Amino acid sequence: MYLKISGAVLIILATYLYGHNLSFMYYNRVRRLEELLMALEMFLTEVNYSLTPLPQAFISIGEKISRPVGGLFFDAAKLMQQNRGLSACECWRSAIKKNYRDLDLTRNNMDLLDRLGLIWGRSDKNGQQRQIALIQELLRQALGEAQVKHQKNEKICKYLGLLGGITLVLFLL
Amino acid sequence: MQSIGNVIKKQICTFMAPRLRSIIEFLPQDLLAKTEEIRLRHSRPLILYWAGGESYLGKRGPTPSLREAYTVTGEDLERTLELICSYSLYACEEELRGGYLTIPGGHRVGVAGRVVIESGSIKTISNVSSLNFRIARQILGAGEKVLPFLFDRHAGRIYHTLVISPPQGGKTTLLRDLARLISNGVGILGQGGQKVGIVDERSEIAGCFQGVPQLDVGIRTDVLDACPKAEGIMMMLRSLSPQVIITDEIGRDEDVRALEDAVHVGVSVIASAHGSSLDEICRRPVLGLMLENNYFERLVFLSNSKGPGTLEMIVEGERGLPLYSARGGGE
Repeated sequence: MYLKISGAVLIILATYLYGHNLSFMYYNRVRRLEELLMALEMFLTEVNYSLTPLPQAFISIGEKISRPVGGLFFDAAKLMQQNRGLSACECWRSAIKKNYRDLDLTRNNMDLLDRLGLIWGRSDKNGQQRQIALIQELLRQALGEAQVKHQKNEKICKYLGLLGGITLVLFLL
Repeated sequence: MQSIGNVIKKQICTFMAPRLRSIIEFLPQDLLAKTEEIRLRHSRPLILYWAGGESYLGKRGPTPSLREAYTVTGEDLERTLELICSYSLYACEEELRGGYLTIPGGHRVGVAGRVVIESGSIKTISNVSSLNFRIARQILGAGEKVLPFLFDRHAGRIYHTLVISPPQGGKTTLLRDLARLISNGVGILGQGGQKVGIVDERSEIAGCFQGVPQLDVGIRTDVLDACPKAEGIMMMLRSLSPQVIITDEIGRDEDVRALEDAVHVGVSVIASAHGSSLDEICRRPVLGLMLENNYFERLVFLSNSKGPGTLEMIVEGERGLPLYSARGGGE
């Protein structure tokens, strides 16, 4: 009997945690997108007011924003400073590859991140501002969608996890 | 001091696209040692220049055959420009407007491409089609032979001097070494160091990178980097109290006015100008007027006859008396 009860508790706990993780992913996505927007704002400040070279600007952003979003900038900057002849796009993509698992972003969000690689440092100040502003706008839309999904799915995921576990236990019993 | 070969490998190659880097890095030392320029032109062969010669570069090194030469691609140029700008084209706008970029070590990279004009002035260069790496060389001692002729032993000052030579004749190298010698002090002349101000409009004399001189211009030298000559000379006079002002390639009206001010407040001026003879210089409106008014007490003529920086003649400005001649020797 004790075995059955502990098994049932374990199943319910496992499905609840699964549901909780799923809801946490929605929460995380919102946070990452907000951090990305903040990072782009910081980058624009560096460009506008001090014309900081890209690697230094990235390091400064990486130090102010925690991983994984800060890690994207920090890792890309480190690659740039290694003098291996890589392009900014290659460094950025490599940093995305290293951090993408922790970002909890959708494929569309990742495409936006990838597009940033084609922009970094490749135009004059005005061009850079315009291109970053465009990506910021798209990220804001993505953030809006992520917030709606988060509000809609957070409780559902948690309850579904719990109820799914209870249903499974009842079915097995 | 590092050999030029090592300088190219360590300071120049790091700013080149990987494919170009792999070609340059494996060139023989003797070829690198005499290299003056490395030219990258879109869809054209990679060419290396030295005084009086050039060589195509192929994947296996220098080659006499145009067919075997490596053809520079758009991607090579794009990647190289990205590395030179430290991935930040927006931070190099001002330099690009002037047609060149400076990299650590004081080496300059000339840029050609499509010039974008806005409100009648150059905004930037886009679609870069050529890059020219000019290797900065410091020849320590280049000014030792000249300096005794430029020094007024009685007054303990440097004469107002104009250095004249055709392009690539060694003017800048001489100015740089004179700055170093005057600034550090010259034992043989019994002369302590003097405060030197360099107005380096094209970042050639001191080879500044982010404002810091990369070449040895002496311990008592202040450099106004990328600063227009006329404004720079006035700034120097107002706040840096130089005893000697050194500047490159004068020729505009406003340069002359600023030099006049410097001369009147007792600051010695050493400047340079393009030209191959005194007659040629005299025919130029602004410089001709300066010579007519005897602003310069010494005229130094250089040429390429025995390589860049060959000292041809030193002339006393007012009376035109030759003080030194390559054929006849010194006073």
